[in-house]
Amino acid sequence: MPSLQSKFPAMEVDSQEQLQRKQSTYLSLDENFEIQKEVYRGQQYSQIYFARLHMMRTLLYSLVPNWKSHLPVCTVLELEEGKECIIVGTLYKHMKLKPCILDEYSKERSVAPLIKPHNFMHQDDYLVLEDESGRVKLGGTKLSPSVYVTGVVVALHGKETSAGAFFVEDVLEAGLPPQIERPLESREDKYVVFVSGLSIGSSSSNPLQFQLLVDHITGHLGDEEEQGLAAEIVHLVIVGNSVEISRGLLNGQNLVSKDQSRLSEPFKELDILLTQVFSSHHCDDQHFKIAASLPLDIMPGSSDPANFALPQQPLNRCLFPGSATYNTFRSCTNPHCFELDSIRFLGTSGQNLDDLTKYSEAKDKLDFLERTLRWRHLAPTAPNTLGCYPFTDRDPFLIDSCPDVYFVGNQEKYETRLLKGLEGQLVRLICIPRFCETGVAVVVSVFHLPG
Amino acid sequence: MNKGGNPRKRPPPPSSHQPSPASKHQATTPTPAPPSTEEDFVDEDVFFDETLMGEEDVESLILRDFEERQALASRLSKWARPTLSDAYISQSRSIVFQQLEIDYVIGESHKGLLPDSSGQAAIIRIFGVTGEGHSVCCLVHGFEPYFYISCPPGMGPDDISHFHQTLEGRMKEMNRNSKVPKFVRRIELVQKRSIMYYQQQKSQPFLKIVVALPTMVATCRGILDRGIQIDGLGMKSFITYESNVLFALRFMIDCNIVGGNWIEIPAGKYKKTAKNMSYCQLEFDCLYSGLISHAPEGEFSKMAPFRILSFDIECAGRKGHFPEPSHDPVIQVANLVTLQGEDQPFIRNVMTLKSCSSIVGVDVMSFDTEKEVLLAWRRAQTLGIAEFPILGRIRNSRVRVKDTTFSSRQYGTRESKEVTVEGRVQFDLLQAMQRDYKLSSYSLNSVSAHFLSEQKEDVHHSIISDLQNGNAETRRRLAVYCLKDAYLPQRLLDKLMYVYNYVEMARVTGVPISFLLSRGQSIKVLSQLLRKSKQKNLVIPNVKQAGSEQGTFEGATVLEAKAGFYEKPIATLDFASLYPSIMMAYNLCYCTLVTPEDVRKLNLPPECVNRTPSGETFVKPELQKGILPEILEELLAARKRAKADLKEAKDPLEKAVLDGRQLALKVSANSVYGFTGATVGQLPCLEISSSVTSYGRQMIEHTKKLVEDKFTVLGGYEHNAEVIYGDTDSVMVQFGVSDVEAAMNLGREAAEHISGTFTKPIKLEFEKVYYPYLLISKKRYAGLFWTNPLKFDKMDTKGIETVRRDNCLLVKNLVTECLHKILIDRDIPGAVQYVKNTISDLLMNRMDLSLLVITKGLTKTGDDYEVKAAHVELAERMRKRDPATAPNVGDRVPYVIIKAAKGAKAYERSEDPIYVLENNIPIDPQYYLENQISKPLLRIFEPILKNASKELLHGSHTRSISISTPSNSGIMKFAKKQLNRTLCSHCKGREAELYYKTVSQVSELEELFGKLWTQCQECQGSLHQDVLCTSRDCPIFYRRKKAQKDMVEAKRQLDRAQNLYFVSLHALSWWVGDAATCYIPFT
Repeated sequence: MPSLQSKFPAMEVDSQEQLQRKQSTYLSLDENFEIQKEVYRGQQYSQIYFARLHMMRTLLYSLVPNWKSHLPVCTVLELEEGKECIIVGTLYKHMKLKPCILDEYSKERSVAPLIKPHNFMHQDDYLVLEDESGRVKLGGTKLSPSVYVTGVVVALHGKETSAGAFFVEDVLEAGLPPQIERPLESREDKYVVFVSGLSIGSSSSNPLQFQLLVDHITGHLGDEEEQGLAAEIVHLVIVGNSVEISRGLLNGQNLVSKDQSRLSEPFKELDILLTQVFSSHHCDDQHFKIAASLPLDIMPGSSDPANFALPQQPLNRCLFPGSATYNTFRSCTNPHCFELDSIRFLGTSGQNLDDLTKYSEAKDKLDFLERTLRWRHLAPTAPNTLGCYPFTDRDPFLIDSCPDVYFVGNQEKYETRLLKGLEGQLVRLICIPRFCETGVAVVVSVFHLPG
Repeated sequence: MNKGGNPRKRPPPPSSHQPSPASKHQATTPTPAPPSTEEDFVDEDVFFDETLMGEEDVESLILRDFEERQALASRLSKWARPTLSDAYISQSRSIVFQQLEIDYVIGESHKGLLPDSSGQAAIIRIFGVTGEGHSVCCLVHGFEPYFYISCPPGMGPDDISHFHQTLEGRMKEMNRNSKVPKFVRRIELVQKRSIMYYQQQKSQPFLKIVVALPTMVATCRGILDRGIQIDGLGMKSFITYESNVLFALRFMIDCNIVGGNWIEIPAGKYKKTAKNMSYCQLEFDCLYSGLISHAPEGEFSKMAPFRILSFDIECAGRKGHFPEPSHDPVIQVANLVTLQGEDQPFIRNVMTLKSCSSIVGVDVMSFDTEKEVLLAWRRAQTLGIAEFPILGRIRNSRVRVKDTTFSSRQYGTRESKEVTVEGRVQFDLLQAMQRDYKLSSYSLNSVSAHFLSEQKEDVHHSIISDLQNGNAETRRRLAVYCLKDAYLPQRLLDKLMYVYNYVEMARVTGVPISFLLSRGQSIKVLSQLLRKSKQKNLVIPNVKQAGSEQGTFEGATVLEAKAGFYEKPIATLDFASLYPSIMMAYNLCYCTLVTPEDVRKLNLPPECVNRTPSGETFVKPELQKGILPEILEELLAARKRAKADLKEAKDPLEKAVLDGRQLALKVSANSVYGFTGATVGQLPCLEISSSVTSYGRQMIEHTKKLVEDKFTVLGGYEHNAEVIYGDTDSVMVQFGVSDVEAAMNLGREAAEHISGTFTKPIKLEFEKVYYPYLLISKKRYAGLFWTNPLKFDKMDTKGIETVRRDNCLLVKNLVTECLHKILIDRDIPGAVQYVKNTISDLLMNRMDLSLLVITKGLTKTGDDYEVKAAHVELAERMRKRDPATAPNVGDRVPYVIIKAAKGAKAYERSEDPIYVLENNIPIDPQYYLENQISKPLLRIFEPILKNASKELLHGSHTRSISISTPSNSGIMKFAKKQLNRTLCSHCKGREAELYYKTVSQVSELEELFGKLWTQCQECQGSLHQDVLCTSRDCPIFYRRKKAQKDMVEAKRQLDRAQNLYFVSLHALSWWVGDAATCYIPFT
């Protein structure tokens, strides 16, 4: 039996009344993640690092006076042995176990089967700080290689040792970005539903579970009270990995018709289910009706038929011949950012977090989320270990404004925490579990965000 | 006997070298540039980096040049060697040091040490390092060059002095303008015996001729060879003995010094030189008799903390030309100095032309002129800077460069430059690699990829100039690259334990370390032979080189191979060091060989001689013990000891030394046989070598017979054993059992049984079992290698296309994968399917281009080749396209074979892979199928499959073919693309499939793109700078290029898709259609 992770406060609803679904204002902020005019022109990844360093450095430099104003700020190039100073640069983690594409060509195929570790950490890993002028190996215990990953920009206080390394005495991260003040006027209770990892078409997916979820949302289940709650759901976000298509089908040869249907089946199924979300007001039942369909955002994930590199571009609307006819259906990018009643949501389908877990350590997934916010970067490991488009003039993954809700999809289990920033920022961090495995969707109350 | 000569003045600086400017600081008179070209100076993919092993007085050199530069002072103090203790300064303690290099100079003999000597004499110089790290230059006086001739019968003391005068007279004639007062110092009568042939008398009179200078040995030998008029005897020519022994080696032999051992000069036996001529901390004179040479055992087996300098020089080239020293300036020099035994260099510096941004942990020194760069580094003859070429340890001596050609049967002919750097050991890794390893390419990149599993970043020489002409930042980029290149040889040196292995080799064979690289195998054996002969009072004749027309002898046997795939364990019986054991068992030596005449004359009893299968006669050890067997016994016994010690050893450094030693001993033992067979060698004796091989053959046959006779069903065994193959020193037996352990037991039993029938110390050993075993033909096989019954050790292949230069990577991958599937997975159908898939991929144009690239070195220009070769033709064509980037002589040319008009020759169809990528030119799958993969595949599969050729190369999987459409071909001009058009009838109904396919293609490409480019950033070691590397040896270079190009196209396709909102799938299909397989009908 699927369960809904519910945070509904109790409330009274008149059973005879026709329920009206609540509305909210929606503003898409995906523009940043869209690759429209950009083309591959032979550009390399140095430019995105450069853009990142440039932006972050300006920011860190502005923070330095409040941190350690007495110290001089220099570049890697200007380091002198024994001189205490602050340097700002991009971290690079040298990892012994990091998989390397060259291994595919290694001369001898090893006899022992390769065991793929989940984590590529090794005790010999060390960090290097790099700016345009050069690299320096980092020493000292202040900066733990297990926490940081390649691509993070930080300011470091320390001095060069005689061995040519930089002994780190203190670290300054950019910290949580500033948050836009939310209007304080009293709010109605509204809910946003997040679901990820539907994996339709995979062996573990159970169509009934998803049907049950749709029925819940559309008010086909439960008593009036529950329907009343359903009526307060104002938005549904599908956070990646909606379908799973066996890659084996796409190798070379033309497909026989049976295999062709296996390819298109999952999406047809998804489309039909989603269409119900929009067409729920056709429900005949005289007791309860939820008029007006529910706005829906669908994000691509790693198993969806979308491009691989971040930011993933919206799934083609042609895949949803049914749903796409509704104007409340939005195919979005991954990462996805939007405002609902001026509350800002930001999240990904999980690739950034998965990559961090491979290359660093934390006590739980939320810690990773928190780190990315403090680093002000959604996916620091891109492009190093996480595929990403080679942007030339900007780094779209920089977080310049603190979201109110920061979510990430396709995780093992549901986790949440409220993060408080030094400047009063409040962020709700959410890990959304894979629906096909857990049967859990996450309902977020817009009103009760801080609590 | 080593004293003589008259007292004279103290030695001036060595006169054998060009007079040099008085001071390096003021001299600006340019000396004419010698014609030699120093290609060493160019960074290119054939790695010219030299590693100077030995120590480097960077501190003293730099100090003088930078006295004014206070800023450097602190750094330099770090470089300085430890200061001398008082005991050294007061000369009150004995000096113990590890010698690294021994040479000699001509100088005035030392008045203080040799009061009765006069005139010019050879002074031996020993360079080394003490245990504390002090550099040492020891000048040894009083050792004189000499050689022997056999004394004509009836020569009395008077005749000898007559003979002396005659010889002196002839010598004077030969060297008219020499100022030497006396050429032939002495002639002594000694009792010796020639090593050649068995002789019954113990000794004969010989004349020892002592001359004044080492060069006179050759002159004197020439006179005696040609014949000399002797009173009472008439014109007589002499065979000289030991007249071709190099002076330094002669010294080492007579003093019992072996390469790289420790030498002690007791306090009081040495005198500090009045005027230092070297930059060493300790420089002193001593007498040849005062040296104590320590055998490399116990405490004296360790290594001194000598310094290793590794450097790399970058040169600004002109576009389209390989840099030449006469035109192109040296722009950067990177140096790394490491103390032996430590893993991190303690000095890193870069000297650059023009300003350069600094690099952390590295000293960057910038100069405005090239002269200063080179001055700082002190080397560049072609520039003619007089004060420049001083790199060695000796003041005022220049570094000279000459071309040398090294030729040997074993290593082939190699051309190289010889740079004389006195007092330092040069260790050219390229040469060492070429000697010790068989690799497909010896570029620094491929060598480091092979041993360190790292790709080297390769910057094309045209880019080097651009970087140099940029700003301080770009030059810094270049400097980083230069440093990395300098570090690589150093790391290779450590990784391969070259220092230990070579020093041990020098100790075992007794030659100076520098000989190991600059000379062949034979000098090593000769050195041992000379040492042994000296003990035995034997002398070695200087045989005139007979050339190779002496003919060859029958080589080792290879038993007929019964090709097939054996799925039962195959036991391998090996003879342990077969050739050395044969020589020992049958007492084969120069001095035990009985000439055919002597056989008749001496009438030796048959029980005292061995007649070898090749018909030679050798006496048994009871009559005369051979020297070679004795040397071999010692070597093998020493190896056993070293191996036993190795097991005991705890300290990793000690282990390294011991392991190096046992390896050196093994190699030396095996090279003795080769020495006797080298027809152009020092002392060839084909009677010995042909006897050895004939015994070898006999033994293999004997083993086969015994095994097949004993292990039969009749003899009480389960199965009849069968010998399926036998090589030089091993026999493969199938005992018929299907269990590895049973096969091992039988193998052991057989080895023991058969060993008993051989003369000691010949021993048959059971070592391993192959299971399964794929025997293709002689010298070609593959199998899983078992030494214990539980788990196999590895896959062993021989003679199968896994490493060959002129094959593309595809062949190697395919063969390896197939063998893996057949032998390890035991999945023959899987292997067949894999081959079919690969062939299908090839035909369907899905093959990664880098797998198809064939690379060949361009050694000369097109006109010089007699036959038209694909890579030469291509280089010519590329030159027409763009002379700047076209490959030049010396470059390696990568190419692929493309589809061209029918009947075009293969050499016309070669094309630059980059050009192919850029223009979508179709490759020719048939060529690869027929000329590259078919033969190796059939070789593997023929023993396994019936109709292998039909099954693999002509099956249904070969029917679908896809050829990429050239973007510049004519046909596409007729194709009309239309928007909003429904799919062609052929593609209708496949919309979803086509859509998914395109998206998944894009997604795969993106993944690949990311991985490839970040890998290149990794190799380059920088995130914020663009990747410059153009290493064509790197396996991902073409993939990276291709991914970049494909991405452009794929992105464009995806964009079209993303913009098709609300347009039906039908419309979507057109862009999918024209992208891959579907052709839109003409309209």
